[in-house]
Amino acid sequence: MRTQDNADKAVLMVGFARMDVLAMSIAVGVVAAFLLFMLTAVLLLKGDAGDPFIGVNLKELAKYFPGYSVSWSGSLVGMLYAGGIGLIIGFCTAVLWNLMHILYIGLVLIRGLWWRMLAD
Amino acid sequence: MKKNTQHPEVRIDDQLVHATVKLNVKLFALVLGLIGGLSFFALTHLALSKGVTVDKLSPLNLLGIFLPGYEVSRTGAWIGLLWGTILGAVSGAIIYRIYARSIYDQVNEYLNSPTIKDSDLEGVTLRFGGHSLGLALGSLFALALFVTTSWLVIRGTAGQSYHANLLSNYLPGYSVSFLGSIIGSAVLFAFVYVLCQILSVVYNSIVSVRAGRNT
Repeated sequence: MRTQDNADKAVLMVGFARMDVLAMSIAVGVVAAFLLFMLTAVLLLKGDAGDPFIGVNLKELAKYFPGYSVSWSGSLVGMLYAGGIGLIIGFCTAVLWNLMHILYIGLVLIRGLWWRMLAD
Repeated sequence: MKKNTQHPEVRIDDQLVHATVKLNVKLFALVLGLIGGLSFFALTHLALSKGVTVDKLSPLNLLGIFLPGYEVSRTGAWIGLLWGTILGAVSGAIIYRIYARSIYDQVNEYLNSPTIKDSDLEGVTLRFGGHSLGLALGSLFALALFVTTSWLVIRGTAGQSYHANLLSNYLPGYSVSFLGSIIGSAVLFAFVYVLCQILSVVYNSIVSVRAGRNT
């Protein structure tokens, strides 16, 4: 039989739900890889990859992603780089989110102990 | 939305939910704001180290068209930090707000279920609603593109916005004009919606698989 305490605890547990670090890392990595692949593929399918003006900004990415080029093989290399960066960003997001909760709850507990000490 | 349980003696405290959501919106906005701002700052300095300058072609310099004040320079890096923080914070707030819509349903499910144990709650994991997330973030980015493009038109530099016009390669129908910005915004909305769906499907699937393995 659930009580009011159960309901309040459930609200807090669901509200402060943690983020799955592995899932978030992979998900953001997949999205980043897909994004770069699509940006490259659009130019290749339109036939603009060789145009000196169109695609020139995307070609600049080769400075940061050695091996990347506005070509099908280059886009696969770019996917790996973008996926790696997405993985790192997703990892940092999930870890920071979970850490923020731990820090906040820790602060609340310390504050509670402090006030209890003052009251005693 | 059913806010309270079927058992009148046990109610979901609306004030507690509201306070929890308010706090977590701020925390998530802070997290994504930090990551957004620092990413922009780091990317700008990386570009500078590669010899990119304000007048050179670079994907980052393109962003200066849509983020006023941003450029690949030392000063621009700080402005990029500010823009990244703002965009990250707004996105974070939206994402958590969307998740918060499921809190009542999840709590009701626990309270009404005879099989869900207290220990199951301790492992509860955040889940993304792809459709709501796509609608919200898609609208945010579409609005941002519309506003920044309209600004280019209003200040009379539409004809010189060569780099902004390059977006038409990825957003069919986009041009630096009012009509073009509306069409481009609609396409961008659809694109961001698809990306959000992919993120949600991948994330939720992995969470479900891991939750299934742990039971």
